[in-house]
Amino acid sequence: MSALAEIQPYVEAFKARPPVPEPSWLVQRRDGAIRRFSELGWPTRKQEAWRFTDLRPLQKSSFPPAAAAGDATEADVAPWRYPNAAHRIVLVDGAFVPALSAIGTLPKGAWLASTSQTLHERPELLEPALRETDVLGGQAFVSLNAALFADGFVLALEPGIALDGAIEIVHLGRAANRSAQLRNLILLGPNSRATLIETYAGAGAYWTNAVGVVGIGIGAVLRHVKLQDEDEAAIHFGHNRIELGRDARYENFTLSLGGRLARTDIHLKLDGEGAACGLYGATLLRDEQEGTIATVVDHAAPHGTTREYFKSVAADRAHGVFLGTIGVRPQAQKTDANQLSKNLLLSRRAAIDTKPELEILADDVKCSHGATVGDLDEAALFYLESRGIPVAEARRMLIEAFATEVIERIEDDAVLRAHLSRHVARWLAAGIAR
Amino acid sequence: MLEIGNLHARIADGREILKGVDLAVKAGEVHAIMGPNGSGKSTLAGVLSGKPGYEVTEGQVLYEGRDLLAMPADERARAGVFLAFQYPVEIPGVNNMYFLRAALNAVRKQRGESEMDAGQFLKAVRAKLKLLEIGEDLLQRGVNVGFSGGEKKRNEIFQMAMLDPKLAILDETDSGLDIDALQMVSRGINALRGPDRAIVMITHYQRLLNYVVPDRVHVLSAGRIVKSGDAALARELEETGYGAYGDAA
Repeated sequence: MSALAEIQPYVEAFKARPPVPEPSWLVQRRDGAIRRFSELGWPTRKQEAWRFTDLRPLQKSSFPPAAAAGDATEADVAPWRYPNAAHRIVLVDGAFVPALSAIGTLPKGAWLASTSQTLHERPELLEPALRETDVLGGQAFVSLNAALFADGFVLALEPGIALDGAIEIVHLGRAANRSAQLRNLILLGPNSRATLIETYAGAGAYWTNAVGVVGIGIGAVLRHVKLQDEDEAAIHFGHNRIELGRDARYENFTLSLGGRLARTDIHLKLDGEGAACGLYGATLLRDEQEGTIATVVDHAAPHGTTREYFKSVAADRAHGVFLGTIGVRPQAQKTDANQLSKNLLLSRRAAIDTKPELEILADDVKCSHGATVGDLDEAALFYLESRGIPVAEARRMLIEAFATEVIERIEDDAVLRAHLSRHVARWLAAGIAR
Repeated sequence: MLEIGNLHARIADGREILKGVDLAVKAGEVHAIMGPNGSGKSTLAGVLSGKPGYEVTEGQVLYEGRDLLAMPADERARAGVFLAFQYPVEIPGVNNMYFLRAALNAVRKQRGESEMDAGQFLKAVRAKLKLLEIGEDLLQRGVNVGFSGGEKKRNEIFQMAMLDPKLAILDETDSGLDIDALQMVSRGINALRGPDRAIVMITHYQRLLNYVVPDRVHVLSAGRIVKSGDAALARELEETGYGAYGDAA
C-alpha cells in the first residue's frame, strides 16, 4: 500500500462519522487534526523517534474506529481487576460502559467521568486541554486521535482534594480490525493527590490508540500506573503528555506485557521549580512482539528531580526498544536526574535497541544515565539447576527476579507491587520458547 | 554408589585437567579428596555435578549404576547428587525460601513423594535451621544475598540437609571459615552421615578432617589420584605438605 492509501481509510472514517452535536471549538479542532494527520501520514524510520519501531502490523491493515462498545461482561474484566480500587471506569472498544463501571462516592471538588459525559456536562474542563494536543510530539497518532476520539476518562481534582482509594480504568479491546481512539485527561489542582491504575487489555486483532493529557498543579501528587496487557495480536499506542507545576510529583510505572506491536510514549515537562518525577517500568516480550518505551523528560525549571529506570526482557524473536531523552534547559539549574535502562536478551534471535540520551544546557546539574544488555547469569542458572530445579523453571525464576526488581522500587504500596508481580508471574507461566 | 573410571576432562581453553581419575565410593562412606592447588579438585567437583564449561574426553562415571555424565545437572540433583559450592552464587530477587521450596518439591516429585505445603515446609526448615544456627531472617532474603562467607557455607550444608541427597560432594566447604563456623559446618556434615549416604569432601587443608573423620583419603595430583589411605594419610600430609605430589608452593 502506498503511504496515502494507508491513511485513506482513516480520513474516510472521519468524513463518515455520524453527526454528533459538539461545541464548535471541538469541531474546528477535529477538522484541523485530520488535516494535519493527512499531511503527516504514518511516521517513517527516517524519523529518529521511530527509527527502531516496525510499523508494518499497523500499515498492512486498516483499523477504522469501532462504532460502539462490543459485548463484554464482568468475566472479561475480572482478570485485570485491581484489588483495592475505590472507583472503576470500564471502556470497551473506546466507549464508556456504565454497566461495568462503578464510581464510588467522590468528595466535593472531585470529578471522575467518561470523556463523553464530561464534554456534555463540563466542556470547560476539556477545552483548554484539547487546545494544542494534536501536535504533541508532532506525531500522526496523536493528530488522528484528536480527530477521531469519542471517549476516554477525565479525572479533575480541585485544590487540596486527596483521593484515598485507587481509581481503576480498564480499557478493553474486543473488535477485530477496529480501533479505539481514547482521549484521557487528568487535571490535579494544587496540593491534590490521586492514584490511578490504567489497564489496557482485550481479545483479538484490534488497535488501541490512547492519548492522555496530564496536568499536575503546585504540590500535587499523582501515582499513575499503566498495565499494558493487550492481546498478542493487537496493536497498542499510548501517548501521555504530562506537565508538572512547582513541587509537584509524578510517579509512573508502566508494565508492558502484551501487543503484537506496542508503544508507550511519555512526554513530561517539569515546569515548576522543585518538581519531581519517577518513571519506572518493565517490558516483557516474546514470540514476535515489538515493544517500545519512549520517554522525553524536559527540565524547564530549577531543582527538578528525575528518577528513571526501565527494564526489558526479549525472548524468542521479539524486539524491544527503549528511547529515553532527558533535557535540561539553561534555567533548570540544580537538576538532579538519572536514567537507567537494563535489558535481558533470552534468545539469539531476539533484539533490543536502547538509546539513553542527555541534553544538558545548564551547568550546575547532577545527571547520569546508563544502559546494559545481557543474558541470564550462567552461574545463577547452574546454581538453581544443581538443586534439582528444572532448567525451564530456573530460567523463569531468574527472569521473574529481573523484572520484579524494578517493581520492588515502588514505595509504600504492597498491594500495587503484588498486583504487578502477579501479572509478571502470569505472563511467565504462559511460557516462552527459546 | 559412585564409580569413576579413567576420567579425563578438559576446560574451555583445551587444557586437560583430569588425566585418568579412578575412584569408587560406597554408600555409608565418607571420602576426602585432597590435593595441591591446580591438581583438578574443583574440576572433578564440576564434572560430577554437571557444571557447564568442562568436556569429558575419556572414561566414565557411574552413579548407582547409571551413566551420570549423560544426565543434565538438574536431573542429577533430583536423582540425589548434591554439590556444596566453593563459592555459593548470589541470586538477587530470588527469595531463599521460595528457591528452597521449589528445589525440595522438584526432588520430592522425582522420588514420588507429595509436594510440601507452606506449613509442612516451614516446619522442616525450622528443624534444620537449628542444626546450623542459621537465623530465619536470612531465608527472607535473596539467595545468598548479603550473607557473610560463613553464612554462605552454612547455607550450603543447610540446603544439603533439606534436600537429603544420596551423594554429597563438598567442594572446599572449609575454605574461608573461622573455627566456630568450621565446627558448626562439621556438626552439620556429621549429622548427615548415614549408612545410605556417601559424602565426598574436596579440600586443600586437613583441618576439616579433624572434625569430620573420613573413611578414606585420596591425594589428587596433576589430574590423577596418586595415593589413597585412611584418615592417617591426611595427618601425614599436614606434616609433610604436598611437596612430594608436585606442588612447588
